[in-house]
Amino acid sequence: MKDDFEPTIIGFLCRWCSYAGADLAGTSRLQYPPSMLPIRVMCSSRVDPVFIITAFLRGADAVLVAGCHPGDCHYIEGNYYTRRRFACLRKIFETLGMESDRIRLSWISASEGPRFAQVVTDYTDKIKKLGPNPAKKEIFL
Amino acid sequence: MPMEEKIGVYVCECGPNIADKVDIDKVVETISSLPSVNVVERHKLLCSEDGKKFLKESIQKNELTRIVVAACSPKQHEVTFMRVCESAGINPYFFQLTNIREQCAWIIDDKEEATERTIRYIRAAIRRVLYHKALEKKEIEANPDVLVIGGGIAGISASLLLASGDRKVYLIEKTKVVGGKVREFAKLFPRMEPCSDIISQKIKEVENNKNIEVHTDSEVSEVLGFLGNFVAKVNTSENKAIEQPSEQAIKEKGLENKELELKVGAVVVATGFSMLDLQQLPQYGYGKYDNVYTALEFEKMNAEGKILLKNGKPPKQIAIIHCVGREKVGYCSRVCCMYSLKFANYIKSKLPSVKVSHLYTDLTVPGKTYQKFYEQTKEKDVEFIRAQDIEITESNGQLTINHKGTPNLKPLNTDMVILSSAITPSSDAHKLAEMLNISQGDNGFFVEEHPKLAPVSTSMEGIFITGCAQGPKNISDSIVQAQAVAGKILSSIIPGKKLELEVKTSEISEALCIGCQTCLEVCSYGAIYFDEIKRVCIVNEVLCRGCGNCVGSCPSGAASSKHFTTTQLHQEVVEALR
Repeated sequence: MKDDFEPTIIGFLCRWCSYAGADLAGTSRLQYPPSMLPIRVMCSSRVDPVFIITAFLRGADAVLVAGCHPGDCHYIEGNYYTRRRFACLRKIFETLGMESDRIRLSWISASEGPRFAQVVTDYTDKIKKLGPNPAKKEIFL
Repeated sequence: MPMEEKIGVYVCECGPNIADKVDIDKVVETISSLPSVNVVERHKLLCSEDGKKFLKESIQKNELTRIVVAACSPKQHEVTFMRVCESAGINPYFFQLTNIREQCAWIIDDKEEATERTIRYIRAAIRRVLYHKALEKKEIEANPDVLVIGGGIAGISASLLLASGDRKVYLIEKTKVVGGKVREFAKLFPRMEPCSDIISQKIKEVENNKNIEVHTDSEVSEVLGFLGNFVAKVNTSENKAIEQPSEQAIKEKGLENKELELKVGAVVVATGFSMLDLQQLPQYGYGKYDNVYTALEFEKMNAEGKILLKNGKPPKQIAIIHCVGREKVGYCSRVCCMYSLKFANYIKSKLPSVKVSHLYTDLTVPGKTYQKFYEQTKEKDVEFIRAQDIEITESNGQLTINHKGTPNLKPLNTDMVILSSAITPSSDAHKLAEMLNISQGDNGFFVEEHPKLAPVSTSMEGIFITGCAQGPKNISDSIVQAQAVAGKILSSIIPGKKLELEVKTSEISEALCIGCQTCLEVCSYGAIYFDEIKRVCIVNEVLCRGCGNCVGSCPSGAASSKHFTTTQLHQEVVEALR
């Protein structure tokens, strides 16, 4: 049963680095699993942790947030704030007994098309092993 | 959900790029069946002239109010289609482009899969566009005048170029004269041409330029405002305005401090550098032994005429030590190797028989002319020793340099030592950083907005950095950077033209804000201020770049990003997951 499972991953991609990295993966015709639905944001720091939680409650199997490498943020230091918020969110996940592996923060630059494809491929494999998001069944809104 | 909108969806085939990978007929059929959609069309190449005409006519004919285009990456044609929307008479922000090429057609081989995904993307875009709000372009008047802080070579160069572009420039210099540290140099590396030729010519040009108002003995005490509209306060004690000061005049205002208020559109920070305080490195014996000099002291001694020991006798041996304090400050100062070579040339031309030894950790002689200068200097019988852990001692007026680094080398005896020490930020950099709200790196130099994409601007729009204030560099590089700053200012503020502001800024709801000021803390651009009377935070839209960090941090939901509102993103996510 688990073998047929195709995960759905929401990907919040910062407009300057990671979204451009995803574009480059496409331009280079790199093939990767069609599991991730990209949501373009201006900066990874725009991603309110509530967005991530909402995505889970609405059925995402995992959420990826991707931004510029540390020190390369288009907005100087937005990604450092993202990193901090992510660390807090991970703690919250652990406290609530949720699988913190279902959230991932990655730094992908505009020139890292292959890395983008690799991150999505690896993450998809990992979520496949984890199986569908149990919150889908447990929580009703 | 707003219901009365008339939505048009346009799927671009992008020639074979999308058409070969996605079953567009099926996409059109599926999207057409959605209740909220009025028009679904496909086109061979929407970004072509023909495609744009088609899009415009279709929008007008069907009286659409919301547009979704499924095509390439927003990086490619978002602006193109926004312009079409505008020309068709609808607000360009009532438009959403969804990327079915780079992030769908080109990454999925399976046509069925790609088709399913295209439909999902378009559904999410339709849902999002329903929540879009009309946004209007905003413009402000901009003052084309410029304040230049620091009258060294960088400040002078920026001022001259700005003035030649017909800008009024206020050049503020802390000391009594413009010209900066370069004034003290006798010659310039690597061509060994007299420095005075270059610097005095520049100073004369500045003094004769009607567009440049020089204030020496003056310091900037406050800068408020933003790009295009700064107000600066300058404390000045200069009295050159009084041509022939009578005793009375001097009594009245001559020696008193005066405060000037200047209105400018941009600020250039060219405050130069200091040298590392050698008291911090006692192993070199500076201040303790008579004949140990700093680089600037030696430069001055040479410029004044003779190279002599403290006892008035000419030296027989001189050692020049490179990399002094490099480890302490944590960076290479870039120019010391070159001016140390220059010193060797000074010495050899005045005292040809003196033995000159260079002690270095690493030699930095980059670029198209420096290597040659090094080789030519070496040919003049100048010794180069790789040395580490240097310690200087003295006995009976004879200096001894103990060192490691090159095995089997004895301590070096010498009469005179020149210390080429690290260049550090100017002593008041910290004060200036605070006043201008710009940041300093770990090493204390001002930080550029982006090392490659925006190397002369800072996080504060309208405030620029150049010369050694930004980092150690030689005269040529300082001038290059100063001219880059001038170019940036000349092209961003054009007299008579208003400044177009970022549309997708943040806004804070006065009703929801609890005044916690978290947003104020996270903003890198100083774009948020706290209103003490209303007890709420307010966004200055002129400074806001729209990153949305404040929105991500706001605990009360008061902050919001235009065009990236919580609702818009939420709807997009929810629909993508359906």
